[in-house]
Amino acid sequence: MKKTIQIPLGSQHISLLEPIRFKFECENEKIIGVDADVGFVHRGVELACTRSFEFKQVGYVVARVCGLCAITHSLSYTLAVEKLLGYVANDRIKYLRMLMVELDRIHSHMLCLAHTAENAGFEALFMQIMADRELVMDLQEAISGNRVQFDFIAIGGVNRDLTPELSALIHKNLELLSDKIDTLLGLFDNNWSLSLKYKGVGVLTLDQAYTYNALGPLARAAGLATDVRVETSDFPYEALGYTMVLESTGDIHARNFVRLREILNSIAMCRNIVDNLPSGEIQEKTKGKPSGEAVVRVEAPRGELFYLVRGNGQNMLERVRIKTPTFSAIPAMMEVFKGSEYADAPAILASFDPCMSCTAK
Amino acid sequence: MKFFIPFRKKSPWILHYNAGSCNGCDIEILAALGPKFDLERFGVINTGNPKQSDIFLVTGPVTYRSRERLVELYSQIPEPKVVIAVGSCTTTGGVFRGMYNVEDGIDRYIPVDVYVPGCASTPQLIIDAIVKALDILEAKSKEIEKPFKLFGAIETIGNKLSRLNMAKKVELHEKN
Repeated sequence: MKKTIQIPLGSQHISLLEPIRFKFECENEKIIGVDADVGFVHRGVELACTRSFEFKQVGYVVARVCGLCAITHSLSYTLAVEKLLGYVANDRIKYLRMLMVELDRIHSHMLCLAHTAENAGFEALFMQIMADRELVMDLQEAISGNRVQFDFIAIGGVNRDLTPELSALIHKNLELLSDKIDTLLGLFDNNWSLSLKYKGVGVLTLDQAYTYNALGPLARAAGLATDVRVETSDFPYEALGYTMVLESTGDIHARNFVRLREILNSIAMCRNIVDNLPSGEIQEKTKGKPSGEAVVRVEAPRGELFYLVRGNGQNMLERVRIKTPTFSAIPAMMEVFKGSEYADAPAILASFDPCMSCTAK
Repeated sequence: MKFFIPFRKKSPWILHYNAGSCNGCDIEILAALGPKFDLERFGVINTGNPKQSDIFLVTGPVTYRSRERLVELYSQIPEPKVVIAVGSCTTTGGVFRGMYNVEDGIDRYIPVDVYVPGCASTPQLIIDAIVKALDILEAKSKEIEKPFKLFGAIETIGNKLSRLNMAKKVELHEKN
């Protein structure tokens, strides 16, 4: 009989932004079993959305489910309510919403890259990526007025308009950023010491990705072609130059590469949006109260975000159900940990880009 | 012990704990540690170990499950220590106030020295809070050194102890 040791990671740990506890069953350095506990940040947002807030306020409450993908939460809720109200947004509103979602995707992906680098032991790379990320944060602050929790989307439109000066700033910063991403692509591909920590570590095969229901960049790094942006028709992504980014190896390197190339794709889309912005009102009056049931899927930075909203024609909603990408990715995450070295665990964990406050709500 | 005072002020190490926040303030703390805002110029370094930390940065409205860990971490930090509550939900509960699994702010469980507003707090505010925390840390350090100061305040007139002068000095010290 083999002897194993149990090593805990979390709930408070230098490599974790948010509390999650792992129990690793280790045989020497190799992990053979994992147990995860994700419920430390459960606050009860879903219940509060139906008890203490009216449907017009809920959009700003669900944004506080997660700070990284706040805009996708408020977007999916708003879309669901607009479906119930029978309201169709005009093209300018759609474009402005897409712009903010794509900017949010860029900053979220860059944070994940930086965090993975820090957890793998590359402090200088972490600093470099965080410095580049400030370009996007400045844009978000200029457009919406806040760096992280920008309550940009409201029912019936958006809260702020894009001025010509802002468009010029967007072009300038994205130009700078795309050069820096090109440099990073070269670095991630060719650097020898990065390849030791990233290449062939934490592999998720295509079969596993399919079996364990992987989503977002995690699935696309394994070669599984899934992206809500092409599966739904809420936004004209294809017309604005969306291309699906696929890798085949499924290791940390592939995940990083998918994120970097998606950033480039998002930059191209943001430029197209700013250049082809249609004219129109940015805020329109909506009438009535939501009744019925609506389901909305939106591609968050980590994968598919699912919202179910049910109303009965009153100010209070009957049910708000949120299913977040990290929740779906947990089985795949457990599978990847098995068989890898314990020392690689923080880097693998960060490369999944887990969002516990999304998961626990 | 007087020896340590300048070093505490020059390099306070921070411990960061997420007690149920939305990640917004946490990524702003990361951004503040990054090169643009560069919190590390104050000698700040992010440690994961409570036993080596001076400043405790807490984010989040304290969920039911994280409250024990919060108090545990607080009690493991050696004196003198400063607690900073980052974000509106940490100070009062914010948007989460009244939700069934939320304890409405951290000052129910641990004493807080600096409150930072904002949802999410900007890196500038976090830097301000830490600079303020440095002063509080220095004051708390001095408070700890007090017995040594009193012991050193021996006054003599001729070859005799002057009790009156010593008592006056202690009184003066108490006032300051």
